[in-house]
Amino acid sequence: MRRWIIQTIAFFAGNHYFQSIIRNEGFYQGPLKRFCFPYFTCYSCPLAVASCPLGSIQHFLSLQLIPFYVIGFLGLIGVFIGRMVCGYLCPIGFLQDILYRIKSFKFKIPNWLANLKYVFLFGLVVIGAYLTAEPAFCKICPVGSTQAGIPLVLWDPFQSSLRPLIGWHYYFKVSIFALFLLLIISSRRFFCRVMCPLGAIYSLFNRFSILQLRVNKDKCIECNSCELLCPMGIKVYQQPNQADCIRCFECVKKCPTKAVYVGW
Amino acid sequence: MSDGKNKISTIISVFLVGGGQIYSGRIWAGIAFALTFYGTIALIKIIWTGFNFGFYPLLVVWIIIWLYNILDAYKGYCYEPPPCERNCPAGIRPWIYLNYLAQDKPAPLSYIPFFEILGMVCPAPCEDHCTRRAYDDPVAIKHLKLGVKKVWIRPKARKSNASVGIVGAGPCGLSLAASLKLRGYQVTVMEREGYPGGMPAIAIPEFRLPTSVLKKEVDEILSLGIELRTGVEVGRDISIDELLDRFDLITIAVGAMKPLRLDIPGEERVCYGIDILRRAKKGERFEFGRVGVIGGGNTAIDVARTLVRFGNEVKIYYRRRAEDMPAEPEDREEAVEEGIEIIPLVLPIGIEGKRHHFIRTRIVDGRPEIVENSEFEVELDQLVIAIGQEPDIDFLKDKLLTDQRGFIVVKNGRSSHPKIYAGGDVVAGPKTIAHAVGHGLRIAQRIDQNLRKIPGFFAWLGKREYPFELKLLPFTERRRMMIPHRNSESRIKDFEPVELIPSPDEMKREAERCLVCPLRYRP
Repeated sequence: MRRWIIQTIAFFAGNHYFQSIIRNEGFYQGPLKRFCFPYFTCYSCPLAVASCPLGSIQHFLSLQLIPFYVIGFLGLIGVFIGRMVCGYLCPIGFLQDILYRIKSFKFKIPNWLANLKYVFLFGLVVIGAYLTAEPAFCKICPVGSTQAGIPLVLWDPFQSSLRPLIGWHYYFKVSIFALFLLLIISSRRFFCRVMCPLGAIYSLFNRFSILQLRVNKDKCIECNSCELLCPMGIKVYQQPNQADCIRCFECVKKCPTKAVYVGW
Repeated sequence: MSDGKNKISTIISVFLVGGGQIYSGRIWAGIAFALTFYGTIALIKIIWTGFNFGFYPLLVVWIIIWLYNILDAYKGYCYEPPPCERNCPAGIRPWIYLNYLAQDKPAPLSYIPFFEILGMVCPAPCEDHCTRRAYDDPVAIKHLKLGVKKVWIRPKARKSNASVGIVGAGPCGLSLAASLKLRGYQVTVMEREGYPGGMPAIAIPEFRLPTSVLKKEVDEILSLGIELRTGVEVGRDISIDELLDRFDLITIAVGAMKPLRLDIPGEERVCYGIDILRRAKKGERFEFGRVGVIGGGNTAIDVARTLVRFGNEVKIYYRRRAEDMPAEPEDREEAVEEGIEIIPLVLPIGIEGKRHHFIRTRIVDGRPEIVENSEFEVELDQLVIAIGQEPDIDFLKDKLLTDQRGFIVVKNGRSSHPKIYAGGDVVAGPKTIAHAVGHGLRIAQRIDQNLRKIPGFFAWLGKREYPFELKLLPFTERRRMMIPHRNSESRIKDFEPVELIPSPDEMKREAERCLVCPLRYRP
């Protein structure tokens, strides 16, 4: 199946609570919200039926509890398929895939910037939430702006109860959102590579996961097509299981010599 | 997209974010920029609750989007460079002219001197890295240079009084001179020989590069208005201090012309490869009889092939294996076809009259090592040494730094003396014409930046990378075209070119084999 079809299905599988819009009632608050998505998507989205994994981690930590259940869930996925969730399920990844196709001026970000996502993970999601007793990453999260912040405020389902709350922080988040759009248009999966703390969690499992990419060095002619193809800009023939690999298998599908393959 | 259209779209995008992109045909890019800019402005207007300091980051981001939108309208869509472009020492973008050739349109390329000559003598590293190797054989990028209809885009000339002196009228010197002249500088080229052209004019034999082709290309460069002074040797006729006074900057591109010596007893009566090639090009004939050529580079092969054409019996002696030769494998095969014997793993150790002493070697860890007690004797009428050249730059030894082998040490084209630039063989050692042309073009850019005092970032901003109309072509199953060669019996009798030029139709169909990697392989 085409990847974009799976990505679309995955988005609607997690975000299909259309009653909220029809009945003008805000969020879904049923039992499914106890479970978290495997991918990054905001739980304040009016359509969302489950909760954000990062939001759950931050909630537990801000209550001074260790989120065993979320870590175990993410770890289980990570052990099997590594970062494949980013490539096949994540709607934010899908958004970046679409927007990068726009023919604009592109630039490459230096590789060391990819380590910034660990700073976001440990600095904001773990330590920040623990110390401030608030979801610290959500304060800057552009995904939250995309799915919840902007649509909810524009739609305003709670009879003008949201708009008076708008202050400097909302303006700040809109500016982050605009910058986020600009960056994901002009650089390959900028959010995944530089910011995403969930990607940072999964990327820790990439090298040890059961699913691995393999390169047949005898067949490989180092034509670099895989780097041209890769949404993350990885030289697959040199480091097939780099932490940033999202297992979208574009290189496996389109390698001219079929040198890249999925192994165990 | 023409250059004028690009200017208009830049101006439009200054006033209307996204408008320039739509004007130049990139509708989705225009919509995306307009939505990110006006969309967020509209959002803030709808939900406006009064001014607070959260407005400042918004303002900054809007300015960033506006500036980026102007940059985008100016520079256009970017492609990732494919392997052919990345491996070209001259900085040529083969996939673009292949695409234009396949579309049967004239290709607007930035000016590259010696373009056709590269099509005849370049060793083609682009073909060694071509992605098409995955399916069959690489696209014949090198030969297709001869079929491209070119429209040179020349850089805009600015009036400038700065003068640049260039020592050496070889490929590096002349391409630097042409590039600088097009940018509006006063250029003077000094050449030791009586004629311009450098190594290609002196040492590439007639059957690989006809003099008429070289002369046409050199005349084209000189007709730009470059002052050429032949027969001037720096250090003898004019001193380097005088040059430093006369010119704002000077560039050393004298090449590596001094043949390396073997240092064996009896070396007084050997010939050197470069001298033979030079004199053969002037019309001298060499009828030695049995000749041995020492060396494995392009010069050695060229000397051997030249001598075969004078009726000599030629053997090449090389200290490593035949496949380790730095010469191009194709040239080596052509030499073998012409009846030249290659004897690998031998080293000359002495000459007594016509008796030449050799010793066998073996390869240990990639380096040749002498095998004890394996001396042998060969009767030869003449030994020719072609084991490499070194630069002859005694005239500026005290001015700048050189490494142990005598090559000038440079950083970004500039030597340790702030007014002296250097490029070509005098920096990199004996390399190809493509390397020399690449050095010339890059030094021209550096000199331009330094004389106009532009920081590198702004030079990058001003450069438009892909103002091209490229089209993804369907995959063809065609195999690589056969480049017609003259048969070896007829070609060893004269100095006519060995490779024949294929027909234009065949070249077009060969260009269709290009995969256009940046368009085919993208996320």
